[in-house]
Amino acid sequence: MTDGSATAGESPVTNRLSCPSCGEHAGTTDAFCESCGSLLKPQSLPPQRESAGIQTNPSDRPCLACAGKVGSDGWCTVCGMKVSNGREHVIEQPASMVAGVSDKGIVHPRNEDAAALAADPDICWAALVVCDGVTTAADSDVASLAAVNAARALLAAAPRPPNTSAEARIAHWSEQLIAAAAAANRAATETAHAIGDVENPPSATFVAAVADRDVLVAAWIGDSRAYWLPEAGPAEQLSVDDSWATAQINIGVSRDVAEASPQAHAITRWIGPDGPSGDASTSATTARSPGWLMVCSDGLWNYCSEASELAKLVYSLADSSAAHEPLPLAESLVTWANEQGGHDNITVALAFVDPTAEIAPTAEIDPTASEVEMKESF
Amino acid sequence: MATWTAEVFQNEYLPDGATDVHAIITVTCADSGQAGDDGSGAAEAIIIDCSGSMDGPQTKMIAARQAAAAAIGELSDGTWFGVVAGNGGPVIAYPPPALEVGGMVQADTRTRAQANYAVSQLRARGGTALGMWLMAANDLFARTPASQKHAILLTDGKNEGETEQQLAVAISRVTGQFQCDCRGVGADWDVNELRGIATAMLGSVDLIADPAEMAADFRTMMQTAMSRGVANAKLRVWAPLGAEVLFVRQVEPTIDELSARRVEVTNLISEFPTGAWGDESRDYHVAVRVAAKPLGSEQLAARVQLEVGGQVVGQGLVKALWSDDSALTTRINPAVAHYTGQAELADVIQEGLAAKAAGDEVTATFKLGRAAQLAAETGNDEATNRLKKVVDIEDAETGTVRLKRAVSKLDEMALDTSSTKTTRVRPS
Repeated sequence: MTDGSATAGESPVTNRLSCPSCGEHAGTTDAFCESCGSLLKPQSLPPQRESAGIQTNPSDRPCLACAGKVGSDGWCTVCGMKVSNGREHVIEQPASMVAGVSDKGIVHPRNEDAAALAADPDICWAALVVCDGVTTAADSDVASLAAVNAARALLAAAPRPPNTSAEARIAHWSEQLIAAAAAANRAATETAHAIGDVENPPSATFVAAVADRDVLVAAWIGDSRAYWLPEAGPAEQLSVDDSWATAQINIGVSRDVAEASPQAHAITRWIGPDGPSGDASTSATTARSPGWLMVCSDGLWNYCSEASELAKLVYSLADSSAAHEPLPLAESLVTWANEQGGHDNITVALAFVDPTAEIAPTAEIDPTASEVEMKESF
Repeated sequence: MATWTAEVFQNEYLPDGATDVHAIITVTCADSGQAGDDGSGAAEAIIIDCSGSMDGPQTKMIAARQAAAAAIGELSDGTWFGVVAGNGGPVIAYPPPALEVGGMVQADTRTRAQANYAVSQLRARGGTALGMWLMAANDLFARTPASQKHAILLTDGKNEGETEQQLAVAISRVTGQFQCDCRGVGADWDVNELRGIATAMLGSVDLIADPAEMAADFRTMMQTAMSRGVANAKLRVWAPLGAEVLFVRQVEPTIDELSARRVEVTNLISEFPTGAWGDESRDYHVAVRVAAKPLGSEQLAARVQLEVGGQVVGQGLVKALWSDDSALTTRINPAVAHYTGQAELADVIQEGLAAKAAGDEVTATFKLGRAAQLAAETGNDEATNRLKKVVDIEDAETGTVRLKRAVSKLDEMALDTSSTKTTRVRPS
């Protein structure tokens, strides 16, 4: 998960606990540190912290099994069932070319990531949306789910101009994705209003990507990522984290050092009522060979950040007998991340994009194919 | 401020249909400080047997005076204290009624010297009435403002000055009022009787075979008492609705069944007093029976918490996870296995010695044979050495032993009193 705390100059953070291991902020009901996964309370509780641990978050929901109160340790205080929002392991596959898997991971008590997908294989179109709810804020899992659904609804309903240039399609989808991010932000904000005033209102990251034949466009707010991992040619990270780590990298700190820092996951932008204003950032690329368009939460990329490394991982995990099937691959990536420790919720959404495939005859063929060729040689 | 940690050792994997969850919880307290640090002060009572038998031989009474003086010497300044001279009717040896109307005084150079003089004047005469001695100490404690109360009780004989019933009533009246470490000197006291007092009073019981060792033992006991900076901690066990806590047992440093001391907090939470804590670790074996759940289910079987002054200061989580992977479910946690063996060891030693005393040699041989086997299996060398003084161990692996013909009473008592002492799990 991502820490919603702002870096210097952003909105102030007050009355938050800190992780005894790494100093990262922690929510009053957290059992584990967002940043390093250290246990915050159960093993050794200094008395002054316990009073905070006993406090109930105003938005704490009852146990799904028995409606009892859920303890700060992540287990029901009546029946002993693990806290659940029914999202321990969620699979999304609206069409065969796309699949998303969202998993609780091992360390966190609850999955606060969410994924929503849409696809139209006939015209080689797909939309992938992932939001990573901020654990230190209340009800972020509700906010993240509302956000991905709102964004998907907007993208699925957006016009799909069939006869335009790649450039025009990039402009079109960039605009639609910014609108989708705004819709996600509204949905997350409404969730916050539904639970009333809380100290840390729900918040989440946002990342979405659209594949329109050869055109791939991504938009993001926060540090969930979009990657293009082609079978041939260089892999690319389409998004640039809105995070403390990125700020460090921008001033010359190496990626390894910056991402290993305790504050690496402090995000500088997020969606939700207290998020900084401004449109989602966007970027685009053109697919020249078949490959995987991926959006994911940091529960995956924490263990494999560089695009080239991630591509290697993806192609090593892809089952040769089902090389283009996104669901087994998404499952394998989640399993792999859990094997690395599963310190955070893990969400992966994949679309298999083949710009060389023939568009189904019912779809309208782009008559300006030569222009696409020109674009591809950019 | 004391810091607490709780570590859980268990195999959380259960086979299909299984219901019983066992775990060892190691609770460690660090930076506990000194007795009385919590602001309300500490109080100590030293109860010395002054019955007539303490003069036979006279070295016992002399040693007892020296031991009491040694304990007084370890009292931190400001600790409330008093000395009870025990015989058929207890006498407050210190402080004298004129100094403090029936209560205790605080330790300083002057009061320690006065107490030492009072102790040097103790004379042996009269009988043994352990219940009355405890009540006298309780009366002293009741008049002090201290919240951390501890006593040392020394006797050399059986409780002959009062009935069993009178002693039981006295124990029940003082239980929870103070902690009491009990020591028996010589071979004429009753191990079960003193163990009963010590167990109820959250204290230790031990044999002092040689009066010459008494002063050193008293000094150590008082040092330990003075180093306990946490006046009163409780073990709190939560089990889910519908579950049954089978037992809660301290298994290290000694076996102590806590189940009898259970206090219900809510229908799901029980509390067990554990007395004062210094910088130390104690291990607890908690067994919970939960309803079996489908394969793949996971649930919390127990929260084991330490509570001090109404605050939860440490917690260990005991879990249950049903699996069809027999490689996971058939593993027995080494700590659980070890302490299960140690608890049985304590039982079979006590049962074996009781059978031997009753003249049932067959049962005694069987029980003590099993004891020899368990002591060897669990690496409890101290128990093995003590057993060897009572039985000839022919084959520890199969538990084959022969009762020794001539056994010293003191060796039998040493085996009995130390039967509840455990060893930690051997590193594998």
